[in-house]
Amino acid sequence: MTPAIEIRDLHVAYRRKDGQAVEAVRGLNLQIHPGEVVGFLGPNGAGKSSTLKALMGFVQPKSGECLVFGEPSWTESSRRRIGYLPEVAMYYPHLTPLETLTLYGELQGLRGASLRREATELLRLVGLTASLKTLNRQLSKGMLQRVGIAQSLLGNPDLLILDEVTSGLDPLGRQELRTIIQDKQEQGTTVFFSSHELAEVEMLCDRIIVIHQGQLVEERLVSRLKDGLRKFTLTYRGDLIGVRALTDATNGVTTASFDSKEGLVAALNQASNDNVEIIDVVTQEGSLADYFIETIREAA
Amino acid sequence: MNKFMVWRALARGVILEAIRRKDLWVVAILGFIIVCSAGALGFFGMSGLESFAKDLATTVLGGFSTILAIVTTGRLLPEETRNRTLYPLVARPISRFDLLFGKLLGGIAVSWLSFLMLCLMTGAALAMFGVRFELIMLQYVLLKMLGLVVVCSVTLMLSTVMTPSAAITMSFVILFGSAMLSRGLLMAYSTASPSVAPFFQIVNASLPQVSLFDIGGRAANANWGLVPLWVVATLAIYMACYSAAMLAISWAKFRRQAL
Repeated sequence: MTPAIEIRDLHVAYRRKDGQAVEAVRGLNLQIHPGEVVGFLGPNGAGKSSTLKALMGFVQPKSGECLVFGEPSWTESSRRRIGYLPEVAMYYPHLTPLETLTLYGELQGLRGASLRREATELLRLVGLTASLKTLNRQLSKGMLQRVGIAQSLLGNPDLLILDEVTSGLDPLGRQELRTIIQDKQEQGTTVFFSSHELAEVEMLCDRIIVIHQGQLVEERLVSRLKDGLRKFTLTYRGDLIGVRALTDATNGVTTASFDSKEGLVAALNQASNDNVEIIDVVTQEGSLADYFIETIREAA
Repeated sequence: MNKFMVWRALARGVILEAIRRKDLWVVAILGFIIVCSAGALGFFGMSGLESFAKDLATTVLGGFSTILAIVTTGRLLPEETRNRTLYPLVARPISRFDLLFGKLLGGIAVSWLSFLMLCLMTGAALAMFGVRFELIMLQYVLLKMLGLVVVCSVTLMLSTVMTPSAAITMSFVILFGSAMLSRGLLMAYSTASPSVAPFFQIVNASLPQVSLFDIGGRAANANWGLVPLWVVATLAIYMACYSAAMLAISWAKFRRQAL
């Protein structure tokens, strides 16, 4: 199957104001399959926005290539299939959200009454029905972000590229955004987004890609990652012979920590055989934030 | 996709922004100044001053409309970049040429709109004092509108290769000083050695000859008659070629520019 996004050996370089060349992306390779929701993570300055800009054709890569559904990403036919939300949501201050969407819709090739219907429907979807005819400059940052989300959905694109998607959104807005993305995923839309909100990433993504200093550091399925991050704690009184776990014993009560469910099950079976008194079994979900920090530290 | 629709959408965005930003209020204020000036002339008596009034009116119209065209077009692209409104535009299935051309059309439309509004107000002010209008005044308006296309395309080109303030300053120097520069270059050409003379010719040819589009002086003197149609046609061809060249330079710079 043709990947929705394929980035091959991408190098993106900038020249700073002092004339020094800075390589923001260094040999990045990645693939995103149709229908996937992929989170693109990395600390500030990791090269996320540069990668997305190269993918959108805003900057010319030094080398390498970006393909969207098998075609170079900068072509008009590729971009017809992409909905893009920029990192900073700024829209024409003297236009209304409806006029903004109408303008972008016309550039997308949409026309007339159907465009107006779609624009109105999208603005309703992002909760801006009451502000259809308010000038953009009178909207809050969060509302502008909603305009941005609505414009990225124009024309029902096959691929959504969202840069810092939750920026400026309140909890209600985030909840609504999650619903929109989940609906889009059910319709088969591929979603590739960068975010610093790891809780959102965890809730929405099938897979995460972590980059640091312009290079790929980690690429994991979120389900597997969650399994890997989960910890199990067994508290018991007595002796469990042969248990392989970190243990801490005080006053005859032992607490054993297991990295895998299999280890815990084995210990429980053993406890049953040895007539050991089980006091407590606790499952702790690992934090993606801790994993992210650890991964970046290791990479650094 | 229909390119014309794309250009129209972009141009309409520019016009709508200009109207809502109250840019056209500037035109109204300038128009008011023109009406007041004409009123002052009327107060002191217009008899025998018709040609002078018309000459003054066309000079003021020409100056104000050129200033408005430069200021409007000079900030089209830099503002898009600074305000980051450019990203959602270039993310659409349109080429950067489409973007430039659509913006240029918008800039031209706003300049024409401002100019025509000024013309109406000036015309009304002059008519109040019994100034007669000849067909050449229409030729003046038409040629001035063609000249504004050159002004807009030069300013857009400059805004892609330099900072916004530098582009606007440079546009003022080139467009207001083109007649003077041309005179200087022709003088230099006539006195230069044969090996250097072509250089002055090339520089002169590359300058926008916007003064050719200003027939205000002729229009003020009814005795001089209409400008021959072949001259108007030649100027229209010059406008099309020069603007196309400016657009090509803008595109060459903008097409690979990192955003």
